[in-house]
Amino acid sequence: MTHLDLLLLVALINLPVAWWLAGGATRRRLLALPYGLMLGMLLYMDPGATWDSGLSWVFLGQSLSWRLDGLGWFFALPTIGAALAAAAYSSGEWGEDFAGAGGSMGWLQLALAANVFAMLVLLAAGDLLTLFIGWELVSWAGLPLMVLAGGAAVGAGIRYITYAMGGGMAVLLGVVLVYVWTGSLVPADFMAVLPTLASWQVGLLVALFFGGFGVKMALLPFHLWQAPAYGLSVGPAAAFLGAISSRMGLFAMALVLVKFITLERLVDLTVIPGLLDSRDVLAWVAAFTIILPTYTALKQNDARLLLAWHGIGQGGYMVLGLVMGDAMGSAGGLLHVFNYATNQAVLLLAVFAVMHRTGTADLNRMGGLIVRMPLSFLALLIGIIGLAGLPPMNGFVSKWLVYRSLVLEGEPLLFLAAIIGTLGTILSVYKLIHNIFLGQLRVEHEDIREAPWSMTGPMLVLCAVIVVTGTMPGLVLGVVADAQQAIGLAVPDYHLGGVTSPAGGLDMLWLNGVIMAGFAVGAVLFYGFGGRTKRVHQLDNYAGGHFLTADVRYQYSDNFYPGLMHHIGGWYRGSFQWLEGALISVVDLLATALRGFYHQAQPAAWVLFTITLGFAWAVLP
Amino acid sequence: MMAYAVALPLVAAFLLPVLHNASRWLGILVGPAALVAVLLVVFQSWQPAVLPFAMDLGGFAPPWGITFYVDALALLFCGAVALMTLLLWPRDEGDGDADALVRRRSLTLLLAAAAAGLALSGDLFNIYVFYELAAVASYGLAAERGTPAAYAAAFRYLMLSALGSVIALAGIAIIYFETGTLNLAHLSLLAGELQGPTGMAAFLCLLVGFGVKAELFPVNAWVPEVYGVTTRRTAGLLAGLVSKLAVLVLVRLLVLVFPQEGLRDALLLLGVLGLIGGELAAWKARDMTRMLAFSSIGQLGLVFVAFSLPGTAGLVAGIVVAVHHMVLKPGLFLLAGQWGGGLRGLAGAARRAPLAGLLFVLFALSLVGLPPLPGFWAKFLVLTGLAGQGGGLGWLAMVAILVATVLEVSYLFRLAGRLYSRGDDEVPAAATGGGTVTAGVFGALVVAAVVFAPALWDEVQDMGAGAGDAALYVRTVGPMVPTMISGGAP
Repeated sequence: MTHLDLLLLVALINLPVAWWLAGGATRRRLLALPYGLMLGMLLYMDPGATWDSGLSWVFLGQSLSWRLDGLGWFFALPTIGAALAAAAYSSGEWGEDFAGAGGSMGWLQLALAANVFAMLVLLAAGDLLTLFIGWELVSWAGLPLMVLAGGAAVGAGIRYITYAMGGGMAVLLGVVLVYVWTGSLVPADFMAVLPTLASWQVGLLVALFFGGFGVKMALLPFHLWQAPAYGLSVGPAAAFLGAISSRMGLFAMALVLVKFITLERLVDLTVIPGLLDSRDVLAWVAAFTIILPTYTALKQNDARLLLAWHGIGQGGYMVLGLVMGDAMGSAGGLLHVFNYATNQAVLLLAVFAVMHRTGTADLNRMGGLIVRMPLSFLALLIGIIGLAGLPPMNGFVSKWLVYRSLVLEGEPLLFLAAIIGTLGTILSVYKLIHNIFLGQLRVEHEDIREAPWSMTGPMLVLCAVIVVTGTMPGLVLGVVADAQQAIGLAVPDYHLGGVTSPAGGLDMLWLNGVIMAGFAVGAVLFYGFGGRTKRVHQLDNYAGGHFLTADVRYQYSDNFYPGLMHHIGGWYRGSFQWLEGALISVVDLLATALRGFYHQAQPAAWVLFTITLGFAWAVLP
Repeated sequence: MMAYAVALPLVAAFLLPVLHNASRWLGILVGPAALVAVLLVVFQSWQPAVLPFAMDLGGFAPPWGITFYVDALALLFCGAVALMTLLLWPRDEGDGDADALVRRRSLTLLLAAAAAGLALSGDLFNIYVFYELAAVASYGLAAERGTPAAYAAAFRYLMLSALGSVIALAGIAIIYFETGTLNLAHLSLLAGELQGPTGMAAFLCLLVGFGVKAELFPVNAWVPEVYGVTTRRTAGLLAGLVSKLAVLVLVRLLVLVFPQEGLRDALLLLGVLGLIGGELAAWKARDMTRMLAFSSIGQLGLVFVAFSLPGTAGLVAGIVVAVHHMVLKPGLFLLAGQWGGGLRGLAGAARRAPLAGLLFVLFALSLVGLPPLPGFWAKFLVLTGLAGQGGGLGWLAMVAILVATVLEVSYLFRLAGRLYSRGDDEVPAAATGGGTVTAGVFGALVVAAVVFAPALWDEVQDMGAGAGDAALYVRTVGPMVPTMISGGAP
């Protein structure tokens, strides 16, 4: 039994173990333990090496095999990490309350364990058939996590699985075509034949795989399912799904499009001669995925949905960086997977901690919680800085690498799109932190306490990861380099503080040092000159120079940026909603027609009709 | 020996009412005993060393006598007939009508005998006889509930099926007129005489005629109505078993007598239309039984698509798809029987019956093809076959299969969502018992197929290769009476 087999076996055994652990209040404290074990096993395995599985068999004339290389290792890290955080978060008071409210902890933990197992099976895929098997397992494993919350979440889950299967079928067709056109599903064999395929064949494969994997990443125009499916789930599930689940799409893209088909081939596939090749199309899909969902997030009034919509937009940066394909861009895109996972996990855990105490995620019904829940505030603050991609957090490093690559590769328009997206992110995360924690406290929240340690603990650990990997990105860039090498990409010249490049590098140790020094100077000035502050009760507040009392509601999120909305409000048209609705209407119309066929009074007439038509076909030349 | 597969259920069918009057226990036992005996016969005959072999009933040499052709495929279907009939054996529906139950069991045995006959028969005459026998039994079963709706559905079914039989008979007549024989092996030798438009017309007659039972689009309008009014066990039997035997007959004809390319295209096109049409109608269904009936039409469409593929690959794909559906659909119908009726009333049903809920999810997942469940391998085989074949129709079929899968997911899991929703608990829990247990057996078969997949795969490949070998068939049946070879129209 190899190391990889052992890891997969532990992940599999964790299914019944998690179910059992979830069953009792004392046992629940140990829920994170299996994931800790898995994380230890993963860290023991060198990401620079390839870890083969002893399992392999031939079936239906296909050989199935599993192996974990640098790319799989890199995605396995945040997968297990996110599960660890989610399990720890739910192991204490949250779990008790959830079970007390009629929720099934057993199902939640079983589904979480199933997701981790399915993802590891996918990440260790050694050929296209095992990739598809893993892909489908991951798609289906996500469903129970989404629908656990009941109510609207069930509808969101079914919408998800319909989209996911649409994507899955595109992938399946791609796999089948590779098999028929190249005679093999084993990478070494079909990669030798792929270069000989005609352009239309490769183009079709790219469309099928990019579209299929893109559904999981919620790339435009397949993005509508994700925010409600992730956001409306229960806390730990939402954090896990939001942090890593849809990144499986990026893993598959990196493997199939970058490694198997190669970016050079994508550039060769011309879409509009002299203007647009297929890689440009992918990059622009990514760019629009950054902008549109981010500005949709800006309009959300539910903290969970706001974050979930950002998850879609952030995926755009990853795809954009990856398809740029140069050392910096691809490093940025991949690094953003890790960074974003830490940011989103912290943010969703913090929002659900607030929800745990206040019972709401509605941004119109909160405010001023900073004093009541300071640790959650701190976690959310660190999370939003990372999500917005600002120093000194880790999100800045990955986004900087992507920006740099866009500039160096001569893509000013894509760069502009990325910046517009970041602007929208900054605006909307400000709305998030402001409406929850700043300003006026609501009367009903006067007695709110901070969330328990079982919940704030995982959040703070993640915060530490964000700060440390923000200051010392080299810690993660080493693993990213292994992933890049595994798919045949160039590796940037990295060091502990960042990257060096003739065109200008980045050293976060210096940058963060300067920022901290700036804060220190500010603090010295402030406190040195007396630190004059005036405390007022939180129920009272000022807004725009006007004194507000507790009976005047200050917090609101509708039309939060009236000036901006005056200019861009008209752009929100719900075109994709309309498109989805139109598609459903067409299916509905066809289905009604077909049902009519089966509701006729004289079905025997069809026998005559068919045979007459058949005779005509047989006799006519 | 194999003749017992037909004879035992047939005799039991006629003895059952008599025995029931003599002793209640004898009446209860005779049916299952006959079916178990058939299973034993099948097991005993399943020896790769002696397969395939042919039997001339009554000692008359072909092409004059009745020929049974026994290969692995025929044995598989014979065994499936006995096993499925046993699992779906009519139970006391609690209406207190003992005579009706005896009638129902008699008819079921008759259906089993006819179905085994269809699987084994080596000549068109017998195939027609057994087909009619199966039809008569199914008319009776369709009307078994005795409600006005059941009679109306059974009557419409009778009209449709009778017309189909007449057209099939016309096809057989054309073949006899052209070649002077109805023995399949003999016809295989004379296939050249059926190459022209007349031969094609004859096959189309058989396709439409047998297609009525095989749920072929567009002669399948009886399906949702009949499945909606019968007991779920009968629906499972008709959808799972009888439809596949009609398909088996058509496949034998395609392999042995009609190797024309164009006919496969016709089969492919009708299969695609059935697939898409069935799934679309199921998407809109508001009643679980009808949803399953429409889904069955769609799956049969997929079976036709699979069998339209040329060569061993097509036969293998077809066998896998057909057997997969044969196991799943009765299981789903049994669950529908537990829960009954309209989708609205099903809210929370799976919470009250967790095992049934799990089985539904298992069946649904296999139906939509989640690897490593058998449904995935079935779809994979069909898709690789179609992609290898290429051509406009092939691409159309591939897209249709993928779109149909998405539709399937959409309606099956909309239903699953409802089954698991926190519904109002005032709805009384359905009486659990036999239905779920039997469905559990089908579920166990699905899981077993995953565990024993590699062994099954070897078996299916041999089966497909054997069934696709027309020369082997002719050799096995033996030399024909020489004067007939020069045959032709008198």
